[in-house]
Amino acid sequence: MNWSRVQAIIGRELLEIVKNRLLIFTIFLPPLLLTIIPIGMFAVLGNEMTGGNLNSGGSLERLVALSPNMAKYSPNELMQLIVFQQFLVLYLVLPLIIPMTVAAHSIIGEKQARSLEPLLATPIRTGELLFGKSIAAVVPAVLATWLAYGVFFGGASFVTTPRVLAGLFNPMWIVAMIVLTPLLALLSVSIAVVISSRVNDTRVAQQIGGMLVIPAVALGLAQTTGFILLNALTFVIGSVVIALIDVGVLYIATKIFEREKILTQWK
Amino acid sequence: MIETIGLTKHFDGNQAVQDLNLQVKQGEIFAFLGPNGAGKTTTTRMLACLIAPTSGQARVAGYDVGRESDEIRARIGILTESPGLYEKLSAVQNLDFYARLYGMTNADRADAVKKYLSMLGLWERRDENVSSFSKGMKQKLAIARALLHDPKVVFLDEPTSALDPEAAKIVRDFIAELKSEGHTIFLCTHNLDEADRLADRIGVMKQRLIQVDTAENLRRKLYGRRVVVRMRAVMDAHIAALKPLIFIKHVDREDNRLALTVDDPDGMTPTIIRALVQANGDIQSVAEEKHSLEEVYLNLVGNGGGAK
Repeated sequence: MNWSRVQAIIGRELLEIVKNRLLIFTIFLPPLLLTIIPIGMFAVLGNEMTGGNLNSGGSLERLVALSPNMAKYSPNELMQLIVFQQFLVLYLVLPLIIPMTVAAHSIIGEKQARSLEPLLATPIRTGELLFGKSIAAVVPAVLATWLAYGVFFGGASFVTTPRVLAGLFNPMWIVAMIVLTPLLALLSVSIAVVISSRVNDTRVAQQIGGMLVIPAVALGLAQTTGFILLNALTFVIGSVVIALIDVGVLYIATKIFEREKILTQWK
Repeated sequence: MIETIGLTKHFDGNQAVQDLNLQVKQGEIFAFLGPNGAGKTTTTRMLACLIAPTSGQARVAGYDVGRESDEIRARIGILTESPGLYEKLSAVQNLDFYARLYGMTNADRADAVKKYLSMLGLWERRDENVSSFSKGMKQKLAIARALLHDPKVVFLDEPTSALDPEAAKIVRDFIAELKSEGHTIFLCTHNLDEADRLADRIGVMKQRLIQVDTAENLRRKLYGRRVVVRMRAVMDAHIAALKPLIFIKHVDREDNRLALTVDDPDGMTPTIIRALVQANGDIQSVAEEKHSLEEVYLNLVGNGGGAK
């Protein structure tokens, strides 16, 4: 792996992203919307979420039974905490969605602009090219997610109690943001590269890749309904598993990226 | 500098290039002609290590295609059919990116970018996004990109196709200059006049290589050399006067002109003129007939390769 070539790819890709206002808009708007919505919801509803009755759902009881330290919260706080945490799950979905757009555009767009042929005629190796493109797609996705996460906390501090805020700012989500978010983004990009090697329409690539969010959404639903409880350990284990999958998918992406087929058969 | 032995490429059973045997010397401009679909681009892509041959061997800049592709890629420059530039980046950013891929140092990159943008008249617009460039400017920028790293072999696919006459001349002069600097140029073109003016040798391709030679030798092989004499009127007596001249291989009579096939027009024309004047021929003009490369090309491509 020649790192100066990888750096050149990353630099060029990021420069193109920065110069593409529509792409910037696509990267940063959805996370900010998904942040503003819950904050706005809490600002409007305030403390009217449970009516003060812990037994109103049944799910709340199940959650407290699973995690006794949650008993310290008032019913309203507990409800706020749970609802906020559901929105936090969205921050695991975002790094799966955002880089898909960038990565699909990065390879298919390059082919459509016919810039891939002169690029492949340089000494760059397939692994260097794909790794550079992957990192360049991961960086804005992670930055957008982190930015949204920061705004989320900033906003939450105005609409909830310090106890709920402390409950949200826990090791589990710190691990998720620092470790899991980049790994999920890389997974999304690697899969986008695999799909982009097989189709030559960015929309098709994005639609196929969109299915990636299903496991993350399922995870969120499972937590909402109290069937599972996400904690720091599950996130650490999840991060290790995702990292291994990343390496595997990126390896496969490099192997199935057939320069010749892409140059001669993509029209 | 370029050598192929039995180079062949099939795509899903379709033969794109068949048994190509070719040698291009260092510092030579080699023009590769042929109709669309003749295999020119496929050959270029094989030599540039972009696609693998189905069979046969090729060496470029002293390295084997396939086995030493990385070495070859580092030593060649290529102008593809389409400029393939990054439209949202400036001219400098486009070139600097490629220079980094070739491992050039910061100082070398800056020098090379300035040198080629200046030579091709793009320096003043170096910081503008390529999307604002005309087709010709993009083509010139793509040529600069192919040359940045001072490649030994340069593959140029239709280098002047998008250019106005003035820009085309700049590029042609530039190609000639590259040759003088020792670069080997492999030029794919449909512009026969350009090939005639620039190329040391010409290869005509139609899946297989039909002919390779200098433009002059191709003309001679196909048509011989002919002296055309225009007269006020051509009489039988004039033709009879030429009969004793055994060095004339063939006489064509066309209205008021005679076309005489000879080996050495320069040496034999005075004798021909004397014979016709003595036979009371009123000569209006005498010139050696020049067949255009277009005629040569159409002849070769049209009849599938056999010289007349």
